[in-house]
Amino acid sequence: MQNQTKGLANAELWGGIAWLALGLFVTWQGWTQGLGVLSEPGSGFAVFWCGVIMSGLSATIVATAIRQGGPPLKSLWSETRWQKVLLVMGLLLLFGFFFEQIGFIPSSLVLLLVLMRFIDPVPWWQAITVSFGAVLGVWFLLAKFLKIQLPAGVLAPLLG
Amino acid sequence: MDVVASLAHGFSVALQPYNLLACFAGVFVGTLIGVLPGIGPVTAMALLLPVTLSAPPEAGIIMMAGIYYGSMYGGSTTSILVNIPGEAASVVTCLDGHEMAKQGRAGPALGIAALGSFFAGTVAIVALMLVAPTLARWALKFGPAEYFSLMVLGLTLLSFLTHGSMAKALLMASVGIVLGLIGTDAITAEERLTFGRLELLDGVGIVPVVMGLFGVAEILSNLERKISREVIKARIGSLWPTREDWQRSVGPMTRGTLLGFFVGTLPGGGAVISSFASYALEKRISKTPERFGKGAIEGVAGPEAANNAAAGGAFIPLLTLGIPPNVILALLLGAFIIHGLQPGPLLMVQKPDVFWGIVASMYIGNVMLLVLNMPLIGMWVQVLKVPYPLLFPLILMFCIVGVFSSNAAVFDVFVMVVFGAIGYLMRKFGYEPAPLVLAFVLGPLLENNLRKALILSRGDFWTFVERPISGTCLALAVLMLLIPLLPSLARKREAIALDKD
Repeated sequence: MQNQTKGLANAELWGGIAWLALGLFVTWQGWTQGLGVLSEPGSGFAVFWCGVIMSGLSATIVATAIRQGGPPLKSLWSETRWQKVLLVMGLLLLFGFFFEQIGFIPSSLVLLLVLMRFIDPVPWWQAITVSFGAVLGVWFLLAKFLKIQLPAGVLAPLLG
Repeated sequence: MDVVASLAHGFSVALQPYNLLACFAGVFVGTLIGVLPGIGPVTAMALLLPVTLSAPPEAGIIMMAGIYYGSMYGGSTTSILVNIPGEAASVVTCLDGHEMAKQGRAGPALGIAALGSFFAGTVAIVALMLVAPTLARWALKFGPAEYFSLMVLGLTLLSFLTHGSMAKALLMASVGIVLGLIGTDAITAEERLTFGRLELLDGVGIVPVVMGLFGVAEILSNLERKISREVIKARIGSLWPTREDWQRSVGPMTRGTLLGFFVGTLPGGGAVISSFASYALEKRISKTPERFGKGAIEGVAGPEAANNAAAGGAFIPLLTLGIPPNVILALLLGAFIIHGLQPGPLLMVQKPDVFWGIVASMYIGNVMLLVLNMPLIGMWVQVLKVPYPLLFPLILMFCIVGVFSSNAAVFDVFVMVVFGAIGYLMRKFGYEPAPLVLAFVLGPLLENNLRKALILSRGDFWTFVERPISGTCLALAVLMLLIPLLPSLARKREAIALDKD
């Protein structure tokens, strides 16, 4: 049985509060969009009522969390490798920023090599072989065979 | 006779070389992702959706359908040999399948899983072929109120069956509907929730959302802990079950097929719940229930037949009503729409090539799957030996490529990363992504039918209650919403609730 807390560190409480904030925001957005009338509902009608339902359900979750408690926030990440999760997220965001400028082949190669070497390291020869094989294989299959456009980036003069 | 002629026409479509290739690609990829833990049919279908864009509609849909029922076959291999389910519907196969493997009977376990799947898959297609035309004719009587109420029932049922708090599941469904409403309003052409971003005018793409919530989030969750996979080292041996194995398996396979098909057709039902229900049924009626969990072949035959029959049955509400009963079929609905097709009662009249082509391809796909899963089992065992540190970067790259190529927009890659983070946090805090994705796909249809019904009834809300089909659906939905308030029934719900992704 996991430790339960009714204090401010209660994970259920914070989860509920986050959704409640989103629910209220959606309700307000629906309201400003315009509800229309029942015989001709406006474009904010469904958004507004979904927001109301979201807020109501989140409020229930918050109330339950206050009454019954929940696992401490810290316990959700205890004995986990959360640093690796953050690192992968950061790498994916960086990849998104450079994907079009540098191009699919170089940016994917760097991403694969970094992931294979620094998350759960595999031998260099495996990382290099698999990365090059996969990236070139995917590029050939998509860009050449299926004619799906992938950014060429810095290799544009070479790839044509 | 009409059905036979239509099926013959379907075979003439499905046997065209391009469609045969699409079918093979679908069942092959389906088996592969079923075998590989950490990537499910939802991610794989989202991944390959862009690839189907350049193909004719029937080929694209045949391939996507193949991935779905192919993954049901492949999932059992990993459950039996590694004791890790390849996909959610094979969780229950671990219990007896892996025990059989540890006792040196991996061959018969794999064999009965493949043969049971083949039997159930084939029966389900025959049933689909016979039931679908009748249901489609009946569905022609449906108006906007019926469609709205049926979708509400589907979402409520899925929330009811989702693991954990029902309030959380319903909350996820509401969030999904709101996400589905982002973009230009189909009736008034007004922008909604776009915050001035041009990329959001057409709404949030289904591919980045699904890929983020299922693909990226699954990888992030797996990275938190070190995964060790140990494949059974003993020789697999003959896959053909013995006479005694057959005697023990015929009953469970037949019952699993019937049960699975029925559960599969229900909105909110699916392969996962049918496999668990079949296991529970077999254990309950067995004269030797103590053998279950210790290598009883009935515990493999029943659930494997059930999850494959459910995969076939799930096509009925999608193809006849245009309503997907689960997340995977919701993605298939997305594929239909992207290809300019609208599944529903008119599909088999207006697009017989597509409808009967899909049905016929499922027969062919089942035969292909039997060949892929029996003689080629050794190949899948080798695939299982690929270490996760090599596998996850490749899955991530495929996710990125799949998302980018669906729209040629880097914005979608960022959407995927954001939904990956949201999906990861949702898992941490106990929120299931399945109701969100189903509601995301159904959201625009739900709103459209709600508004149409209100306009047609001049704003009279009673129209949803007065019409018999609509009223029944809403009454059932309300009943399910009330169940968590009754403690004894709430405990029963917890017992049958499952992780649906």
